[in-house]
Amino acid sequence: MRRFRPVEVFAIVVIALLVIAAVVPGALAPGDPLAIHPLESFRPPSFAHLFGTDESGRDIYTRIVHGTGASLLIGLTATAIGVGLALVFGLLAGLGPRWLDFGTTRFLEVLFAFPGLLLALLFIVIYGPGVVTSTIAVGLATAPGYARIIRSQVLVVRRAPYLEAATVLGRSRTSRIIHHLLPNVSGSLFVLVTLGIGQSIVWASSLSYLGLGAVPPAAEWGAMLSAGRTYITSFWWMTFFPGLFIVLSAVVATMLGRSLQQRLRSS
Amino acid sequence: MAAALIGEAPPRTRKRRRWLPWLLLRLGGVVFVLWAVATVTFFAIRLIPGDPAEAILGGPGSQTSAAALAQVRAAYGLDQPLFLQYLHYLGRLVVGDLGRSYALHDSVIGVIAQNLGGTLLLAVVSLIAASLIALALAAWSTRGGRAAASIGSLLEVVAAAVPHFWLAISLILLFSSFLGWLPPVSVPGPLGLVLPVLTLALPLSGFLGQVMRESMLDAMASPFVLSARARGESESEVFWLHALRHAAIPAIGLAGWAFGTLISGAVVVETIFARPGLGRSLLSAVQQRDVPLVIGVVIGVALAYMLVTTLTDLADRIVDPRLREDAR
Amino acid sequence: MKRIITPLIALASIALLLAGCSSPSPTSSAPVSGGTLVYATGDAEPTCLDPHVGGNYPQALVATQYLESLVSKNKAGDIIPWLATKWSESKNGLSWDFTLRSDVKFTDGTPLTPDAVAVNIAHLQDPATGSSTGYLALAKVTGVTSVDAHTARITLSAPDSALLDSLSQPWLAIESPTALKRSQDVNCQSPVGTGPFVVKKWVRQQSITLVRNNGYNSPPADAAHRGKAYLASIEWRFLPDSASRYAALQAGTVDVIDNVQPDTIVAAKGSKNIVHIDAPRPGASNRIELNSSIAPFDDQRVREAFIRSADVNSAITSLFFGTAKRSYSALSSIEALGVSDPTLFGYDQKAAAKLLDAAGWTQRDASGYRVKDGKRLELEFPVSTNQSIPAEQSLFEQLQATTKEAGFKVNLHPLDLSSWYAALGKNQYNLVSAPYTKVGPDVLRILFDSEGTKPAPSGYFANHAQVKDPALDTLLVTASEVSDPAERASLYKQAQDIVLSGYYILPLYDQQNHYLLRSAVKGLRALPSVSTPTLYDTWLQR
Repeated sequence: MRRFRPVEVFAIVVIALLVIAAVVPGALAPGDPLAIHPLESFRPPSFAHLFGTDESGRDIYTRIVHGTGASLLIGLTATAIGVGLALVFGLLAGLGPRWLDFGTTRFLEVLFAFPGLLLALLFIVIYGPGVVTSTIAVGLATAPGYARIIRSQVLVVRRAPYLEAATVLGRSRTSRIIHHLLPNVSGSLFVLVTLGIGQSIVWASSLSYLGLGAVPPAAEWGAMLSAGRTYITSFWWMTFFPGLFIVLSAVVATMLGRSLQQRLRSS
Repeated sequence: MAAALIGEAPPRTRKRRRWLPWLLLRLGGVVFVLWAVATVTFFAIRLIPGDPAEAILGGPGSQTSAAALAQVRAAYGLDQPLFLQYLHYLGRLVVGDLGRSYALHDSVIGVIAQNLGGTLLLAVVSLIAASLIALALAAWSTRGGRAAASIGSLLEVVAAAVPHFWLAISLILLFSSFLGWLPPVSVPGPLGLVLPVLTLALPLSGFLGQVMRESMLDAMASPFVLSARARGESESEVFWLHALRHAAIPAIGLAGWAFGTLISGAVVVETIFARPGLGRSLLSAVQQRDVPLVIGVVIGVALAYMLVTTLTDLADRIVDPRLREDAR
Repeated sequence: MKRIITPLIALASIALLLAGCSSPSPTSSAPVSGGTLVYATGDAEPTCLDPHVGGNYPQALVATQYLESLVSKNKAGDIIPWLATKWSESKNGLSWDFTLRSDVKFTDGTPLTPDAVAVNIAHLQDPATGSSTGYLALAKVTGVTSVDAHTARITLSAPDSALLDSLSQPWLAIESPTALKRSQDVNCQSPVGTGPFVVKKWVRQQSITLVRNNGYNSPPADAAHRGKAYLASIEWRFLPDSASRYAALQAGTVDVIDNVQPDTIVAAKGSKNIVHIDAPRPGASNRIELNSSIAPFDDQRVREAFIRSADVNSAITSLFFGTAKRSYSALSSIEALGVSDPTLFGYDQKAAAKLLDAAGWTQRDASGYRVKDGKRLELEFPVSTNQSIPAEQSLFEQLQATTKEAGFKVNLHPLDLSSWYAALGKNQYNLVSAPYTKVGPDVLRILFDSEGTKPAPSGYFANHAQVKDPALDTLLVTASEVSDPAERASLYKQAQDIVLSGYYILPLYDQQNHYLLRSAVKGLRALPSVSTPTLYDTWLQR
């Protein structure tokens, strides 16, 4: 086992803080994220308000901390839905008999041919905006992309010499999938998932920009980012800090994924 | 002439004959996807609350009379059972008639023709820009030592995590309001394309860069690079001949997907930069319950998408010989 | 041929340049002719350029440049001549004679005649046209006949004191009868009127190109000049994003923007290149309507409690930077007959608590919301993201927070326009905010007459507060028929007193309508009828 590198320590600390913020937000920010102070609106960052205040005088730091749970949940759940669906379809297509591959591939092509945002758009317009619908919508919209990557990786890996060797050695299908294919596909999958978490939050914020995201006054990062967009010319902090946290969570998730991957490789 | 060529080179015929079923399958796939896309959209959009007859009569909230609504329902066949309406729609679709937009009072084909060019131009230029940025980043961070690797990967992750609308407004503030170099909204000519393309390309390049670097690193550690090194090829030769080629495979595989995300991103970018395009048409069509236009745009995007994937599959086959053996 | 022409053009333009250089730059504000003005609108792109079809504000904005009405309004609120020079009401109030200008031609060459007026009224009343605003305004009109070559007689089923106000609106503009014969799709693309500009080209999602009508001779009586317009053309661009719209104005890519956000107005005040015009819309004020037809707002005490516990003033201060003034009236501040009563809308949590206790909402649940018979005091509030600007949506969030203190649980539902109307149609909302622009106090009849609670076949209704008060109905109908100004004013005052003291609405501010222009743009004004900008008197001093 190697020692922890500084980046890994940094990633772990940030993730730990994010987890604390998600589980017990009150520990990091005792205030009420919904408490308004209209006469203290649009205050720039100061000691009283670390990240400034928003248009209703709500403390942005408190809102970010309390919004961690919802935001990460959107990111994690949407990515889980997306990658989960993708894994099923991608493996079916890449490993199954020819007709199954054909069927799944056609199905995926249909999904692909829809612009992801349209899938999300239709889903939300039908079922109404909200955190749950936008999470599912983002998962649905991103699944085809993951599936395609997984399928193409499976196809490449399946042709790899070591897998042919395993077939020659008479290993069972399941054993081949578990012992050879998955670890090899997982390299790209890790990158995808870790990136996907941040990406899903970003997607959800784009939906908020189009008026289809989390319902106010929920303190969700994407919704905060899109609410601050109107004021971007006058009050930069309203978009900067939620944006920073979206990027930060994506970055540490990726770092963590990377180092896990390297450890897997070297072990 | 062709026969003579084939006669002269018998091994090539076998290779050629494999293209034909591949092409036929592709074509069948295209028709199937178009049908499925039209069907799904047709039924999905009718699940949305809101009355298409109202969309025809000046949009929601218009105080239309019962007589006018009935007249419109009859004229557009909206009083028939949904399945019959679907069959009618399909019938017209087969002969290439996409109908008329409810809200725009114009033929759907016309609306698409007016907007397709702008979106395709934006998407293709962004795709190229993103690939170039990603390639440069990946190459630099693979070969530039540890510092470059860390900075490169950080840049990629940050780029990939930036929402389009935020990036767009920040770019406008920086390049237009502050520096005054570029127009803040779309103007004709290449200058007006710079900011929209950057907005779409930067996040995408973060994505492509990650995947490319993964493959490059894989390739640099793989047996064929080892053997190339053993043959005495220089480190640059190894990189540009093998690693780059290896990196191209997943990147090309991603091109179809990237195109899809660019179209999604176009919805936001076209709104902010006020560029006419399919993304914006689609958004307003969904909001106005403009059924024919939604289906029309989706079919248009699906066609463009499949064109791109067919081309990338073709490129895949050329770059990665292993796939040529695979008849799928 | 081409070879000869190109140098000629070059020569000509050099000559023009020289001419431009030799003449001293105008230091006085003498109007300059020529040039293209770029107008960037943040309103939705119209689906049809003929405001007879449907009839919303985005259509009115652009149609003001190429269509004209029979009458207009001046700053003082008086009706003034436009396409009609004189008018008179018959003694019984059942017919009106309009004397038309004899020298006016539509831009397709068709002359303006009483027949043209008849065709337009018929077009508005034809269900196939799908007019909403115009159709409602003409509810009492039974027909149009020509008295002589220049006099049109409009006959009514009942006296209509709002007729002149109605006819001044862009949604009832007079179009060429020849052009109206074309199919609706064609007419939507290129409506033909008598205005100072002509629709030349419409590239969807991008812009409408309007060019000067060189034969123009029919400005309204309060215009600053006669004859054709100064501007050679207008590029009417659609720029939906507010941040990029302002950036485009700063960069000089566009000359005029509308739908300006409050913080942008404040930012623009610091710039000497940019001028601000504030032109609130007529008709109703922006207000929150309380649905009195279903619980809990079927109880007046609960309505009052909600209004008393909503801290509107602090919200306006924090969100609008002094660009919007608090309203205490059902009508816009530019309506002369509007009644304002601040005493009814004071912020008072204690009074609200007392009222709720009296209404039986005595218990509170763990989250602090009031409970009665096991039911929580919950309010559904569908918000139209198309009609409420971001600052207004934030205002609703603040009201959600302040009314929570009193024990209300307000659920905000941001919706697109179609879903929003669908939600209203189901009558499951408790609160709603819907703008309504109309000239004159007759808007009260549309918004508060019990007729307005019956949904049209499309599900639309305008009386969102669902006020059903026979006394109020009588007042509103009588007021719409009397022509004596004093009596009319008194009737409308009584009607507004009922609406305000019944706590059916929570007034917020006037319908906001702000324009920012580059200082090179001179002579731009908003027409006092519905506050749309007219570019007829406008010139560019570059």
